[in-house]
Parts: sequence; C-alpha cells; structure tokens
Amino acid sequence: MERTNEQHSWKKWIEAHGPKLLLCARQWTRSLADAEDVLQEAFVRYWRHQRQLPGDPQALIITSIRRAALDLARREDRRTAREEQAGGGIEADQLVFERLPGEGDERRAEIEVALQRLPAEQREVLVLKIWQEFTFEQIGEALGIPPNTAASRYRYALNALRQQLEPLCHG
Amino acid sequence: MDETLQELENELKRLTPRRPSPGLMQALEHELGREPAVDHPPQYRTATSLHSWKWAAWSLAGVAAAIAVIAVVRSSPQSAKAPIPVVAYTGQPAPTQPVAIAVNRYQPVKASSVLYDLKEDGAATLPDQTEGRQVRYRYVDTYTWKNPATKASLRWSVPRDEVRLVRASLD
Repeated sequence: MERTNEQHSWKKWIEAHGPKLLLCARQWTRSLADAEDVLQEAFVRYWRHQRQLPGDPQALIITSIRRAALDLARREDRRTAREEQAGGGIEADQLVFERLPGEGDERRAEIEVALQRLPAEQREVLVLKIWQEFTFEQIGEALGIPPNTAASRYRYALNALRQQLEPLCHG
Repeated sequence: MDETLQELENELKRLTPRRPSPGLMQALEHELGREPAVDHPPQYRTATSLHSWKWAAWSLAGVAAAIAVIAVVRSSPQSAKAPIPVVAYTGQPAPTQPVAIAVNRYQPVKASSVLYDLKEDGAATLPDQTEGRQVRYRYVDTYTWKNPATKASLRWSVPRDEVRLVRASLD
C-alpha cells in the first residue's frame, strides 16, 4: 500500500511540474530527447536523495537539470547547436509548447522559432521567469548570476522577441 | 516595462509547455517503480553509520562507563552504611529488598547523514597529474543515543564536508 502511495506521489509530482521542467531542460539541451534524458536523470536523483532537503524543490531540481544538461553537452560536443538549428524551423517532434486550436497555433509556432533564435543566456532567463515563475533572485541563484543581470537579460530577451515577432504580425 | 512588452509577456504566459512523453514516464516508472517505499530521509553509508566499527567502540565505551559507575556505587562506604529507610515499625522484621541502582546506559540507536549541499569547486589536478574537478559534498551527521531505563534520549548533530576529486571524463 505504501509502495503504491509512493508511486502515486512521484507521478503526481511529475504530472504537475514535468511540463515546466521539460521546457527548462530543453533550453540547455540540443533536442527534446536530450531534454527528457536530463529531466529523468535530475528527477530520479532528486526523488531518491534530495527531496527531504530544506529549500525550494523547484530550485533544487532546476539546478540539477542544468548540471545534467551541461554534463551531457560536454559529452556530445562533437555536435553543434548551429548544425541542429540549420533550416530555421522546428520539427513537429521538437515543439516545446502544446498546440493551440485554429490560427493561434501559427502564432505559437512563430514564438517557438523566435525563442530558439534568442541568445541562450537570455532564453534561459526568460523561460525561468515566465514559465517557472522564478523571481530574479531565484534565477540569479540557479544560474550563478546577480539578480540585476538576470533582470536585464530578461528585458533584452523580451525586446528581442518583440523585434522578431513584429514583422511577422504586421508585415 | 512598456505596454507592448507587457502584452508580449502575457501572451507568452498563455502558452502551455508540452507534457513529457509516455517514454519518459515509462523510464521513470522503471527507475522509481522498484524503489522501496520509505518516508524517512535517505541514509548514506558513512564512517559513522550504525554498522561501522566506531559504533562498536562507542558501545564498548558505554558499557565500560556503566561498569565503572556500578563499581563506584558499590565500593562507596556511604552506600554500604546507608540505613534502610523504615516508614513504620510493625513489630515484624522488615523485608530486605534489593536496592535498584539507576545506571545511565545510553545506547546508540540511530545515525543519519543528510546531504544538504553539493558544490563544484572547479578544476583540480589529481595526484597523478591528470585533469579533474573538485566537488564538495556537505552533510549534517546526526547521532542519537537512548537510555532504555529512563527513556531519555540524546541527539548530536555535526556538520561535515567531504571533498572529492573526480577525474575529468574525456569521452
């Protein structure tokens, strides 16, 4: 019975937080499959060894995901992000957001492409702020940067996104 | 932040990150499904775990201390000459009763080691002059003793840092 509860417990947790964590993991990896791998590694480590630790579980697991992603990137440094992004579009199996009904889905696709074009250091801040709902202090702690730097990167990211998306809207 | 950036921020917040694939859930089920159900903090095997030689030494020290206390109490002239208190004289000889000697025998009952922080200290050169990195594991070790006679318990927590040199992976 306890074992069943334990299983339900981690499943509930991953159902509630998995999508946001996967989106974060995707910012530090070269494919969605890699993002799922690092999420799996970080989540298993968290669930087995870190969930009793004090502090914000989301912050703990984000740090763990980032570390796993960096380790994976070092192991796979023969491939470059530039090669993978050649072509500018995103394959259907690499989409990071749920599809939207009707015309809204075109806009969603444009945003996904625009996000991928952002500099990595701006994109990670944007994702942590918008979808992980971290404060700039939490972002600074997770990424090892001052909160003010996180805030300015966030503004740069929003400005860059707006510039990319405006021609698509009005042109 | 100007109005258009605010609008863009709200638009981004409306996008829902995609759910992890069934493959990830299966992998997690495989990893965590066979976990034993535990509600207590993870126990790390350390030099201070219950199975360690140190606990044997502490137990022996406890027994030795208890024997010493008994010996002192028995050899004390005051305790030998102490009158047996009599509440009332009934005309019959008072029954001799054994004098209970309260001995503080604390026994080690629990040891735990909680990993609360893990830090990369940076690059390091290993003793064999190869490249590596230094990782600092920070624990709080907690030991509990209990006196079965009095039910009193004693708990001692001490911080411990463990620095590990990890060889750099080149593959």
